[in-house]
Amino acid sequence: MSLLTALARAQAVEAGRAQPLTTVRHTYLSDRPLVLVPLALAGEAAAPLAAMVGDDEAAPTTLIVNNPRDRTQRFSFVAELAGIVLSYVNRRTRTVEPNPASRGTKMRYADAPQLLVPNAGGLEFIRLLGRSTRFRRTYGQFAVHRSVPQLGQWLTFFRDRADHAGSAMLLALTEVLAAHWATGQSNLEDASLAALLGWIDPAEGLDGPRAAALAEDPLLWPPAGPSTDPSFDNEILAPALTSGNPRSLETALRSQLEPTWGLMWRAVRLLRALPEGASVPVRWAADRDVFTAYQASIMDGAALPQPRVDSAVAAAGRLDRLEREQARYDAQRALDDPLVMAEFRLAGEAFAGTVVAADPKRRDTSGKRPVLRPHITVETSDPVQLDPGMTFVSPARPAQTATVVEVDLPLVVLELAGGMGRKLTADEGSIPGLGEAVTYGPATDAYQPPGRLPSRDATPWTHGGPPAEYVPSDTDAGEEWS
Amino acid sequence: MDRLVERLDRLRGPVAPRNHNARTIAALTSNPGCARRGVLDAAGVNKGEIARHLGFPSGYGQSRFAIGRGNAFEAQVKADGCADLLHLLRERLGLSIPEVAYADLSTVGGNASREVRYARTRSLLARAAGDHDDAGTMFDHPMLRLEIAGYYAYLEPDLIAFRAGGRFYVVEIKSFPVIDGQADPAKVAAAARQAAVYVLAMRRLLAELGHPGDVVADEVVLVCPENFANRPTASLVDVRRQLSVLERQLGRITRLEAVLDALPETMTLDPAQPAGDVATSVRAIDASYTPDCLGTCEMAYFCRDECHGSTRALGRGVHDDLGGVDSVDTVLGLARGTRTPGVGQEEIASLLRFAHQLREECLS
Amino acid sequence: MSDEHGGAIETLERRIDQLRRALRRAAAGGDRTLARALRGDLREAEQAWDEALAALESRCEPSAPAPRVASMLSIREQVHHALTLLTVPAAPKLIIAVHEAFFPGELVAARLTSLRRDEERSFRVAPFGRPYYLGPALAADLLSPARGLLAISTWPLAARIVGPLSPRVDFLISAIRVAKRIAALPIVEGAASRLLWRFAASIPGAGTGAVYPAKVIEAAEAELAVHAESDSAHRLAAAERAREVLDDTESLFGARLSSPRISHGSSRRTA
Repeated sequence: MSLLTALARAQAVEAGRAQPLTTVRHTYLSDRPLVLVPLALAGEAAAPLAAMVGDDEAAPTTLIVNNPRDRTQRFSFVAELAGIVLSYVNRRTRTVEPNPASRGTKMRYADAPQLLVPNAGGLEFIRLLGRSTRFRRTYGQFAVHRSVPQLGQWLTFFRDRADHAGSAMLLALTEVLAAHWATGQSNLEDASLAALLGWIDPAEGLDGPRAAALAEDPLLWPPAGPSTDPSFDNEILAPALTSGNPRSLETALRSQLEPTWGLMWRAVRLLRALPEGASVPVRWAADRDVFTAYQASIMDGAALPQPRVDSAVAAAGRLDRLEREQARYDAQRALDDPLVMAEFRLAGEAFAGTVVAADPKRRDTSGKRPVLRPHITVETSDPVQLDPGMTFVSPARPAQTATVVEVDLPLVVLELAGGMGRKLTADEGSIPGLGEAVTYGPATDAYQPPGRLPSRDATPWTHGGPPAEYVPSDTDAGEEWS
Repeated sequence: MDRLVERLDRLRGPVAPRNHNARTIAALTSNPGCARRGVLDAAGVNKGEIARHLGFPSGYGQSRFAIGRGNAFEAQVKADGCADLLHLLRERLGLSIPEVAYADLSTVGGNASREVRYARTRSLLARAAGDHDDAGTMFDHPMLRLEIAGYYAYLEPDLIAFRAGGRFYVVEIKSFPVIDGQADPAKVAAAARQAAVYVLAMRRLLAELGHPGDVVADEVVLVCPENFANRPTASLVDVRRQLSVLERQLGRITRLEAVLDALPETMTLDPAQPAGDVATSVRAIDASYTPDCLGTCEMAYFCRDECHGSTRALGRGVHDDLGGVDSVDTVLGLARGTRTPGVGQEEIASLLRFAHQLREECLS
Repeated sequence: MSDEHGGAIETLERRIDQLRRALRRAAAGGDRTLARALRGDLREAEQAWDEALAALESRCEPSAPAPRVASMLSIREQVHHALTLLTVPAAPKLIIAVHEAFFPGELVAARLTSLRRDEERSFRVAPFGRPYYLGPALAADLLSPARGLLAISTWPLAARIVGPLSPRVDFLISAIRVAKRIAALPIVEGAASRLLWRFAASIPGAGTGAVYPAKVIEAAEAELAVHAESDSAHRLAAAERAREVLDDTESLFGARLSSPRISHGSSRRTA
């Protein structure tokens, strides 16, 4: 939460409509995402009730569990869902491209799966469904169809990826929408997909607040799930389940799924209408690398179901990696989007100003050979906190780093390196000139020329060594699911 | 206290008071700063009915599947002389093999009245605390009570366990799962708050019988299904923090006098009165709305509507980010420079102006 | 013909939709009377819809899953078999599990709920008219019916009275009886195996993972030895008291609520 977002919300209250938080879309959106709207039975850990799924808005598949407490029926549901998800995943492997980092020796998939669920509850449903199915066996006393553990592993894979900032293989649309628009309600209320869309894109004749109020009536807009509305459970679902009549059960559940299905695709269209941020393809390429590697390990037969709990070492390494990825993601977005950069400026971590002095020919002769290290002095009135040694990057020249040499606000002296050419004089226009307006934002290894592999410390887990000495056991296969 | 009770009765109007239970008492601790909720709950007002009457129904209800699952799990854990539960208690509390005695307090010889069950519970717990030979080990469906603003709230914990040598443990059976050692933290927190109410009631009861408070353990036994099956697992949950918050909150109920003093003597929330009058009366009592109220209090939609135009409706985080400035209009005025900052608002005003300018630049 | 049906179905669906909304609003708003009325209307409309759809469809629905084997015995006979195997008072769930494990035919749980009431009525109409009756166990303290337990009237009074240790003792005895019966079976699988496992899971030393009847018996007997004497003493004392104060009906079906004699003791004797 930042002041900029808070102000945008206040503006939304006044305008009666959501206000943009970005100038571009920071999340990759596939041409053919797989939309999944799951419903779960209340009171159970992960008992699927129904789902609507598909990559074509006009042709969803509706899956229903006639008796949600029947173990066999649950696993049939999972097997059917697996058929749809796994064939979607396989269709993504049809085209390959050379992986630029390997200089053409290795290939990677030109596409990757993208699963869209309505909300954080949907992510949790996927986590639990993955957990309850990935250890199942296809033989022995508790045998299930072979697609069941396969789906479990993939769902767990997708859910793990969703924790990585900037990854787009599994997305909760409420989270993506809320990252791009500020409504005039609280973020708690934003968790409702219908209310959120009501603010962002109210129907004809309505404003945000009115549309959101209508969205709160479960009889008009059923909850996006996986939880169902209690009055639906008690008055419609319970009698339908007891009656044992599959037709009435199906119509009842469809009435709760169809509206959300429509909202999901509406959200996709709204997001697609935004121009894509410059570094979005870079992050999607990283997703494709991870997907390629995981698919390869599946085909090798080397992929074991992910262990229940990370070992301490793995957990620590993972957290470290996630933190760095988050920092990189934030810095990339700042470079792509002046509104995001504005947040950093407000927080004192970025600044804009004018170049008031420059020494473009300055060299550093301390090393073996002299190198070009121009200095510029920037005058800024931003509330920035600077110390010598801090590094920054400018969106106008992302390949160039600027290190703080001296601070005497409102003046800052920066030393520039990189992105100037190889000679001892800077290429024309490669460094800011006198009087030029410049912006400098946070630098991590934020800039990556397109096509580079993620750096070593972002190595996908499959390459980081086999996951713990974990071997799935009989107990796992026979684990009850009641 | 009597005067307070009289005033609360008058405020509620000629309707029976709502029965408190552990969940509603625990909820008193969730928004301590809200006088409106404090007064309404203390007076036993049916908030759902008032909210409906005022045109802001909250649509509460529980799915029968959730209720059914909860009941089924509890029945399973307690089946056959609490076989599964005994197994867990032996593990977690170190009960010795001879400690298996079971007493069913759900009825007393067919009489299910609360007062009778409370009396019986009290006498059995007294016998246990008195360290007699036949102290008893498991007390099923006991009845406790707690005084809230002059009324007795009757409370029914799932079970109380007594370990020989002196300790009572509250046992709560919940049907949310523990998966790979982790449970939903919000649900665990809610269970802990609820269990703390039982611990408090037990301590007061035993104090009346002349025993020290620590004869009731600070830890409660939380029994949940493990992973995706019905097999129960038990964990000990420390509720000291919840207990101290609860005690503090209950202590504050007497300070309601001050709130009531500020209200007209004849004010009433009788739902038979016209909605407009009831609304005026409700508004006369200060509320402290946050979006969290939406999930916990039936008055939330009414209070939210009242808050329209306030930054508090946007959530605590946003409210704080905006420097605690209460009105959306003021925020926008400061940001646009059309309003002069008040005392202490200079810093936030300058930040808001900068923020506004940045947004204008980027979005033009 | 189908157009007509189609039109009727559409109208019905609209009506059903309206009724559902109205019902949910009434239920959420706490208006119980209206909700009840609407539920009735909705049920009727749904039935009409079902019938209209059935008339429209030419295909038959696939038949229901294969019916379970109905039992030739009455429910009271089935319960009698299960309790005779256990020799101790037991809850309906355990009775059903034991029946499923060892006896042919299905024991329908729903029919158990009215059993106690039916048995008592039958006794009043013709006392001792049947060779046995199924009644509740009696709580030792107040001699009132104990919740959730069934027992056979021909058992000695002390066996039908439960004291504080009796639930555990009876559980252990049940485990022993079930394990002994299982030991005599040629193959152990399905319901019998699950039943044995459930006993073993909460008796210390009975084994985890693979469960053997002999081990269960050994472990249950070991713990039983700790409680048996004390439990016996309680039950016998309570049985003494019961003989003094309870009449025939009460000693089978438990003391009634309003009886003042229980607390004061009286000289009423049983036949």
